[in-house]
Amino acid sequence: WETPYSPLCHPLIIMSSKKAAAPAKTAAPAKPAAAAKPAPAKAAAGTPVPVPESFLKKRKTLDEIKAKRAVAKADKTKKNKATRRLIFKRAEKYVKEYRQQEKDLIRHKRQAKNNNGFYISPEPKLAFVTRIRGINCVAPQTRKILQLLRLRQIHNGVFVKLNKATITMLRLVEPYITYGEPNLKSVSQLIYKRGFGKVNKQRIPLTDNSIIAKALGRYGIICIEDLIHEIYTVGPNFKVANNFLWPFKLSSPLGGYVKKGNHFTEGGDFGNREQEINKLIRRMN
Amino acid sequence: TNMRKNARQAYAVNTEAGHQHSAESWGTGRAVSRIPRVSGGGTSRAGQGAFGNMCRKGRMFAPTRIWRKWHRKINTNQKRYAVASALAASALPSLVLARGHKIAELPEVPLVVDAATEGLQKTKQAIAALKAVGAYADVEKVKASRKLRAGKGKMRNRRHVQRLGPLVVYNEDKGITKAFRNLPGVDLAQVERLNLLQLAPGGHVGRFIVWTKSAFDRLNDIYGGVDRESKQKTGYKLPQNIMNNSDLTRLINSDEIQATLRPTNRKIIRARHKKNPLKNLGVKVRLNPYALSLR
Repeated sequence: WETPYSPLCHPLIIMSSKKAAAPAKTAAPAKPAAAAKPAPAKAAAGTPVPVPESFLKKRKTLDEIKAKRAVAKADKTKKNKATRRLIFKRAEKYVKEYRQQEKDLIRHKRQAKNNNGFYISPEPKLAFVTRIRGINCVAPQTRKILQLLRLRQIHNGVFVKLNKATITMLRLVEPYITYGEPNLKSVSQLIYKRGFGKVNKQRIPLTDNSIIAKALGRYGIICIEDLIHEIYTVGPNFKVANNFLWPFKLSSPLGGYVKKGNHFTEGGDFGNREQEINKLIRRMN
Repeated sequence: TNMRKNARQAYAVNTEAGHQHSAESWGTGRAVSRIPRVSGGGTSRAGQGAFGNMCRKGRMFAPTRIWRKWHRKINTNQKRYAVASALAASALPSLVLARGHKIAELPEVPLVVDAATEGLQKTKQAIAALKAVGAYADVEKVKASRKLRAGKGKMRNRRHVQRLGPLVVYNEDKGITKAFRNLPGVDLAQVERLNLLQLAPGGHVGRFIVWTKSAFDRLNDIYGGVDRESKQKTGYKLPQNIMNNSDLTRLINSDEIQATLRPTNRKIIRARHKKNPLKNLGVKVRLNPYALSLR
């Protein structure tokens, strides 16, 4: 029943040709009817052609849109500048904060030594976990835990907040992972080089702060330095920030493993290797 | 398409074909396949396979039967709807052009000719009449398009193909049929018995129709109107319009529709290649403006 629509159709009601079609109402001859489609009014040299109304209307709406766009653009540039300054200040603040932390640690240790005591630094709050072993022949419980940790592929890495629950989980899957406490350089490098965010369920590279701001803006994280800070210091919005980060896809370590089948403490590779994880990250990043 | 099936003749393979043997399978144990074999002896035919679609001289798979459903029933209302649509389409020059008719020289569409054409006796006069209104170009197109059919139809009594020309619709046959019928491509139809297969050949609406005035005047009575019953078809009214205003361009550009549209987004956002901020300073600074001061 489909009659093909043709832009040349004279605008008549299709059935009207039946109604005692007086010759006056019949469609114009085969040459395209000039009435329905006014040509754009570029007045020919000399003869003033009346400008068709539809063209004027279109021009008006276009001008309105352009004006609005210009205003929006001006607003945006102003806002961008302000955000830029804010990001600068924050990055500065964080650098100070990290330096302060380092100095504090050293200070505490020196103080303790002076008093013939010991300074025990607090247990790590953050771990970086990498999956060492592949997909095949994995026990169901181990498989499930690795899925929960988002370690679905070999050499996938995630940050994990350490508490009783997560520590137990890590212990259960120890033969499949290696983990430890990442230092600032590790966290920073990982997020800069291999940072991808979960945007709209897609894996989007973190090429611009706007991506981070759009996803995490309402938690106060508007730039990559904010993100790094949240992860490294395990802030109040760690869960959201971490979940925003897609699991890191690392390379095989340059220089290789020692022995994947053994625990790190046995001279192998899997399990908790505390500070040594940083060396591994350098080789895998 | 279903209407075209109504003119078919039945065909089938002989019911007995392939089975006129008393063939029986030899069974197992004789180093041959288990297909039924022709009984008896003395000829080379004996012992050959029979009855199967894979056998030489066997019957075909699913032999064609005469009791196949050859004709199709179509609801009367549907048929009338189709005729109404086809007639409406024939009034739009763009659709008729799209179907391929040569109507560029026509004074107007639908083309209505004086009732005197119904009285024409000679083909010569018919040609002259068509030429006078500019309809002859379509007939010439048909003449030029006569070709051999592609395919086996050639040897099955369907040797030539040609285009279809104008359909001449008349009210009273006072000789018009005889005058026009020898013109290639020209079809004739009485207004009360319009054939959808002629109005929309191949399912494509927009046949070029030449009406005689008396035929054209009869249309109102035969088909009625959207709110008026037909005088000849009891209780039949023309179908309602699907769209009252079919000018899409005006609809789209109208204020009512434009007001609800979101602004067009012509920007194509493509994925950027991710550059390593640890190596590329520009990218590093884009992400962390403080990086410059740290150097």
